[in-house]
Amino acid sequence: MALPISVSACARAATAEEAAYRIDYPLAHARSTRVVAFDEKAEETVRSVAHGPWGQAQFYTTSATGEDLFTLDGERRPMAREIEHSDSVIMVGTNLLDSTAVAEVGMACRARSIMTAGLLLLDAGPLSGNTLSAIRPYARILLVPSDREDLFQLLRAIRA
Amino acid sequence: MLRPDINDLLTQTGPGTPMGDLFRRYWQPVLHTDELPSDGCPPVRVKILSERLIAVRTPEGEYGLMDEFCAHRGVSMFFGRVENGGIRCPYHGWKYNADGQAVEVPSELNNSEFCKNVKLRSYPLVKVGDILWAYLGDPDKRPPLPTWEFATVPSGQTFTSKRLQESNWLQALEGGIDSSHVTWLHGGGPTGAGLEADPLFAGSKGNQYNKGDLKPFFEVVENDGGLLIGARRNAEEGHYYWRVTPWVLPNFTMVPPRGDHPVHGHFWVPIDDENCWAWSFDYHPTRDLTEAEVSAMEDGAGVHSKNIPGTYRPVANKDNDYLIDREKQKTGELFSGVEGIAIQDSSLQESMGPIVDRTKERLVATDAGIIKARQKLRRAVEALRDHGTEPVGNIPEHQRIRSVAIVLPADQPFVEGIGDGFQAREGVRQTTV
Repeated sequence: MALPISVSACARAATAEEAAYRIDYPLAHARSTRVVAFDEKAEETVRSVAHGPWGQAQFYTTSATGEDLFTLDGERRPMAREIEHSDSVIMVGTNLLDSTAVAEVGMACRARSIMTAGLLLLDAGPLSGNTLSAIRPYARILLVPSDREDLFQLLRAIRA
Repeated sequence: MLRPDINDLLTQTGPGTPMGDLFRRYWQPVLHTDELPSDGCPPVRVKILSERLIAVRTPEGEYGLMDEFCAHRGVSMFFGRVENGGIRCPYHGWKYNADGQAVEVPSELNNSEFCKNVKLRSYPLVKVGDILWAYLGDPDKRPPLPTWEFATVPSGQTFTSKRLQESNWLQALEGGIDSSHVTWLHGGGPTGAGLEADPLFAGSKGNQYNKGDLKPFFEVVENDGGLLIGARRNAEEGHYYWRVTPWVLPNFTMVPPRGDHPVHGHFWVPIDDENCWAWSFDYHPTRDLTEAEVSAMEDGAGVHSKNIPGTYRPVANKDNDYLIDREKQKTGELFSGVEGIAIQDSSLQESMGPIVDRTKERLVATDAGIIKARQKLRRAVEALRDHGTEPVGNIPEHQRIRSVAIVLPADQPFVEGIGDGFQAREGVRQTTV
């Protein structure tokens, strides 16, 4: 078979030299991220990460029903209002997580087409099927198990 | 987004680099056995991990892999004469054995004494399956020989190809981990036409699940040798269809199976920092591949590619815009307009540039598998560099792994539901839907 040969923009564009001409401009923080801890153990991890160099990320704990969130200063805020202008919610929990709160937040995100990620920590022991069942329907992606570094790296990677 | 220093750390694999040191703790596929097809055959140039080497097969059948250049004047030993016991430089007749040791230097009166001090750097080159594997690291740290299932089943059950990918190895690996692109690039987007069009994927029930749920959920699970990346779709009431991709450090991935088709996967091997070999394999754990399957693989179907005869460069490459067919792209017959899974991947991964600037990325939550893999690679590199910690993935327990496709109850952890389905077991069929 004759080999097709043609002048190709791809051949030039894929070189290191041409890569240097890609438009260089500062990227805005892409994500308006909310990080929610669903139990006390998860809260410890979220608090330890919250002091990082974040742009728009905000960090919360949740009420038992999930209808309210608490800032890490303890201020109560309606959950629906807090996530309204978010484009991603990161749900952090352990085996102790409250499935009612997870479902409430998860359904609110689904109704608003907000991307969700779940991080399950081992801080309260091995993960049970019930814990997985509680968060699975609501987390578009789930890290099992995960740790503080995963949360930090995820937030960094999505420019939170 | 990655910091520039981390991007450099993960993408540079030459001698003396931290990631290069990590790679040098593993056996890597280097050549098909048919590239050195017979005793005394011509030598073959090899470039791997930014080292230029020459591979030889002596008339006695001994394999050798050594510095490409003669110690005397730097002549490429590609032009050497393969002779009994080794290879001779045609310039001044210096001869080396398969270990790179000089055994004859004709100009020297005290030939044998002079030879003792002349040795080309060399590495072990061993045949496992239909592949020649090399280990470029510290001899004292050499791991057991490779035990990957695709390389250890009888030869009639396995097929391996390789193609040149003109990008850094990490871009290629990340494609193997990035399950969220499959629905679009390979699945045909909303039409879902792609999978059924390929003879090595067609006809499985899993394809129907794929088409029925275009927005899969993902779970990334820690595994001893790396990660398990599960893509979950709705199946029958109360059940999920799982496709689970294993990644074993640093550069091995498998694709979940479909029906009774052969199982496939990849090694992504750095040639230098701007090129890599995409090794692609198909095997069946319990039966020979059929003539039709092998013919399709040789023709570039499935994960394989149609290469320019006599080379490992794909016919569809960046010099011809990967033969993109805008009409098929428009109609949806080919979602990207590029034919074949391998070239669909390479066209986009090469378009990112030889080493993509990851400081400019805008990752999203569904990229968490890639984020996690980078993190594990970084940890492994730093642990080896700073503490001498042996990396995972270079022992049989981590290499005897399989990808899986399965339907499970909705509340079951996939690791628990799959159980020993992840383990390669002789005479046991793959777990597949």
